[in-house]
Amino acid sequence: MTQPQIDRDIQDQGESDAVGLPDPASIDHDHLGDDSPKEPKGPTMLLARMAEAVYWAGRYLERAECTARIVQAHTDTHVDMPVGQDVGWAPLLSIVGVDSEFAERYHQATEADEVDAAEEDVIEFLLHGTENPSSILGAVAAARENLRTARPVVPREAWEACNHLYLMCSDHLDEAKSRKGRVQWLRRVIAGCQQINGIMLGTMSRDEAMSFLLMGENLERADLTTRVLDVRSENLHSQRGDDPYEVVHWMSVLRSLAAYQPYRRAIPARPQGGSTLRFLLQDDRFPRAVSACLSETRSHLKGLARSENALDACADASMVVASAAVPHLTLGGLSEFLDEVQVALADIHDRIHETYFRPSFVGWQPDSVAS
Amino acid sequence: MLSDSGKWGGHSPVGNTTATNQTHLRRITLDVEVSDVPIAPEDGSEPEPSPWPSFDPGLFYDELVGPNGAPRPAAEALWRHFTELGPEALAERQEAADREMRAIGVTFTVYEGSTGVDRPWPFDIIPRVMPSDEWQLIESGLVQRLNALNLFIDDVYHEQRCVSSGIVPSELVSGSPNFRRECVGIDPPGGIWAHICGSDLIRDEDGIVYVLEDNLRVPSGVSYLLENRMVAKHVFPEMFRHYSIEPVDPYIGRLANMLASVSPSTGDPTMVVLTPGIYNSAYFEHAFLAQQLGIELVEGSDLVVLDDDCVYARTIDGLQQVDVIYRRIDDLYLDPEVFVPESLLGVPGLMRAWRSGRVALVNAPGAGIADDKKVYSYVPDIIRFFLDEEPILATVPTLRCSDEDSRHYVLSNLERLVVKPANESGGYGVLVGTQASTEELAAAAKQIETEPNKWVAQPVISLSTAPTLCDGEIAPRHVDLRPFILLGPEGAYVTRGGLTRVARNAGSLVVNSSQGGGSKDTWVVDTRGQTT
Repeated sequence: MTQPQIDRDIQDQGESDAVGLPDPASIDHDHLGDDSPKEPKGPTMLLARMAEAVYWAGRYLERAECTARIVQAHTDTHVDMPVGQDVGWAPLLSIVGVDSEFAERYHQATEADEVDAAEEDVIEFLLHGTENPSSILGAVAAARENLRTARPVVPREAWEACNHLYLMCSDHLDEAKSRKGRVQWLRRVIAGCQQINGIMLGTMSRDEAMSFLLMGENLERADLTTRVLDVRSENLHSQRGDDPYEVVHWMSVLRSLAAYQPYRRAIPARPQGGSTLRFLLQDDRFPRAVSACLSETRSHLKGLARSENALDACADASMVVASAAVPHLTLGGLSEFLDEVQVALADIHDRIHETYFRPSFVGWQPDSVAS
Repeated sequence: MLSDSGKWGGHSPVGNTTATNQTHLRRITLDVEVSDVPIAPEDGSEPEPSPWPSFDPGLFYDELVGPNGAPRPAAEALWRHFTELGPEALAERQEAADREMRAIGVTFTVYEGSTGVDRPWPFDIIPRVMPSDEWQLIESGLVQRLNALNLFIDDVYHEQRCVSSGIVPSELVSGSPNFRRECVGIDPPGGIWAHICGSDLIRDEDGIVYVLEDNLRVPSGVSYLLENRMVAKHVFPEMFRHYSIEPVDPYIGRLANMLASVSPSTGDPTMVVLTPGIYNSAYFEHAFLAQQLGIELVEGSDLVVLDDDCVYARTIDGLQQVDVIYRRIDDLYLDPEVFVPESLLGVPGLMRAWRSGRVALVNAPGAGIADDKKVYSYVPDIIRFFLDEEPILATVPTLRCSDEDSRHYVLSNLERLVVKPANESGGYGVLVGTQASTEELAAAAKQIETEPNKWVAQPVISLSTAPTLCDGEIAPRHVDLRPFILLGPEGAYVTRGGLTRVARNAGSLVVNSSQGGGSKDTWVVDTRGQTT
C-alpha cells in the first residue's frame, strides 16, 4: 500500500539511480506476510546511530588496552636501562599523538621541540590527564558512554563490565602514581578490556552490531601498531649502528603490542628490525599485525550491504602493507611508509562513516542528525 | 488523618462513602485485622525474638510489623530470617547490594543547577512484603480503574457522553491544558489510549489502601522494580526458598506482547523505544527497556515521516518502516509540526502518521487528560458511569477549589491539608500544609484565591512505614508503592508488586528519588503455601 508512494518519492527527487538507495520492497512489511520464498529481513534493524556508537566503543576499548600495554612495556624497559641510556618518556607522548597537548599543559613557556618530559607528568597525562583526549581513563569513559548509548544492541554483561572497569580505574587512580601501583592499575585495564571483549565474543550474536564493534577495534589496533612502529623505529634509527641495547628496544616494541611471544614462536631468532617489522606489518596469523587487522575488517565489511566503497579502501590499504619492501624500509623511508598506511586506514574509516553512519537516503537529511 | 466522611465539615467526599465500597475496603484490610491479634505461640513458649527490638513505627501502619510488635503474617519468615542473620550480616548484605547496583550501572540523574549527575540507585535491602490475597484485590482494582479511564479518554475524544450525562463538567474536559484537540475523532486500536499506567498507592494508618495518582503519560520506574528484584535475589538467595514470592520478570514479555498487539501491520512488527536522549533523567530506564525487549532505542532524529505518512528509522541499511513506538517523550514534544515548534526531541509529522493509523504510539497522545488531579476526584463516578461497578480501590477525598464551599473550607484549613496543582501529574508544586511555613501557607492561599480553578486539596494521609536500614539502625520510614498496569486489546496485566519508594528522613513523606528517597523490593507472597 505504501510502495507506490515511496517509488514516486524517489523519482521526484531524481535520486533513483543514486548509489546505495534502498530497495523500497525491503522496507515494506506487507511483503513479509506473503508467500514469497525470499528470506525476510525480519523486524530487527540496526540504527545508524547505534552502529556508530558500537564502532566507537570498539575503537576506545582498543585504545585503552593498547595504550596501557604501551605504557607498561615502556616502564619495564626504562627500568632495565642503565641511567643515561634510556630514551626518556617523551616517545610515549608521540605514540599516542598528544605531544602538543602535553606541552601546552606542562610546558607553556618552552617552545623547544624536545619536550623535557618528567615521568610522573607523562604518566599522569597518559593515564588520566583531562587535557589528553586519548588518556586511558578518558578512553574507558568514552567506551562506557558509547556502550551506554548502544546498550540495546550489546550484551548486558558487556556494558556492566565496562561500567565496572571505569569505576575501578577512577577509584584507584591514586595508586597508579607509584611505579608499583601503576603496574597493577595497567594490568587491571588490560584485563578489564579483555574481559569485555571476551563477553562480546562469547555471548553476542554475530550480527551487524558485532561487525561494527570489531571493525572499530581492528582499525584502532592497526593504527596504534603503525604509531608504535613509527615512533620507536625513529628512536632506534637515530642511534643505529653500535647501540648495544638495540635488541632490548625491539623487544620492548614487541611487548608494547603483546607480540613478543608470538614473534618468538614464529621467528625464533634474535629480534631485530627487519623481522620485527615484517611480523608486525605482514604476519596474517598475528591478530595485531596490520595485515591481520585489515583482513578482519574486510571479512566484516563483506557481510554488510553496500560495502563496496569501504572494501575498495580496505583492499588499497592491504596492498600498501603487503607490497612493503621491508628490508629496505629498515634503512630509511619507514616513517613515510607508515604515514601512507595511516592515510589508508583513515580512508577506510571515512568510507565506513559515510556509508553507514551518515548515508544519503531518501528522506535522510544529514544536517538534522545530531552528531 | 481524615479517613471518613464525618470529619469533612459537611462536605461529602467522593469515592469511599457507599456501603459497597466500604465492604471492599474492609476486604483489603483483612490482613490488618488478622495481625492485630497478638500472635501467641501455640506451644505456650516465649514469643519469637525480634530482629529489631527497639523498632517502633508509632501510630503509623507498618508494612512488616503489627501494632503489638509482632510480625504481620506475611512477614513471619522474613522476621525469623533477619533474627538469625543479625545486624552485622544485614549490614554486609546492604553493602553487597550497593556494590552490585553501582557495578551494574543502575543510576538515575539528579540535576544540580544545569548539570546532571548520575547517582547510584538507592536500594534498601529489607523488602516490603504483601500477602497475595490482598494483592489480588488491589490488582483487580487497578485494572478496573485503567479500563474506566480508557473508556473516559475515548469518550472525551468522541461523543463526550460523560459530559452530556453530567458526570463531569464540560470545563473539566475543554478547559484542561491536557486536552489535545488533535486527538478528537481518532480511533486507536482497541479504543485504548493509556496502555501503560504507573499508579501510586498509599496506605493510611488504618491500613486502607488508596490510589493517590494515576500516571498515564510516560510513567517511569519499572526498570528499577526489575533491577531491585534481581539484586534482592543475589542478596537473599536463601529467602526465595522460604517464600513463595511472585516473580516480576513476566512484565517484559507482557509488555512486548502488548506493544505487538497494537501494531497496524500484519507481519512481525518493528517496534522501538523513543527517548528524549542520554541526558534525560530516565535514560537508564529507556535503554534498559529497549535492551530487555530486544528492540532499538531511538531518538527523534533517528526517525523520519515521509509523504506516505509512514514512520521510518534511519538504519545502516537505509530507511526501515516502524510500526509501534513506545514513546517516552511528553505529548508536547512529540511533533514540532503540531505541538511545541522548537522541540528538537520529536519527529516532524509523527502526529500525521499516528492519526492516519500508520504507526501506533504507546501511550497515545492525549491520554494525559485522564490523570490530572481534578479528574482524579471524579474517577469513582467515572468508574460507576462507564463500567456500572463500584470502585474497588479507595480514592483520597479531593476538594476542588473552583467550588465555592470547598474553597472556603480549604482556605480555613490550609495547615491541615495537602494542596496540589489541578492539572499536573507527579509531585510538582505540591504543598503539604502540615509541614509548610506561615509564608508558604499565605502564598498558597493567595494563589488559590486568584486562580481557584488550578488547585485541589486533600487531607494529609499518614503514609504507612516499613523497617529501613538507616545508618546502621533499623528505623521506620514512610513508603508508597507504584505498580505498573498494562492494557491492550488482548487484555490487562498488573506487575506482581511494584516499586516501593522510601522517604529518606524520619517523618518525611517525600519518597521521590530526586529528593534523596530510596526504594525497596516488594514481595507479593503466597502465605498459604509458606514453608518454614
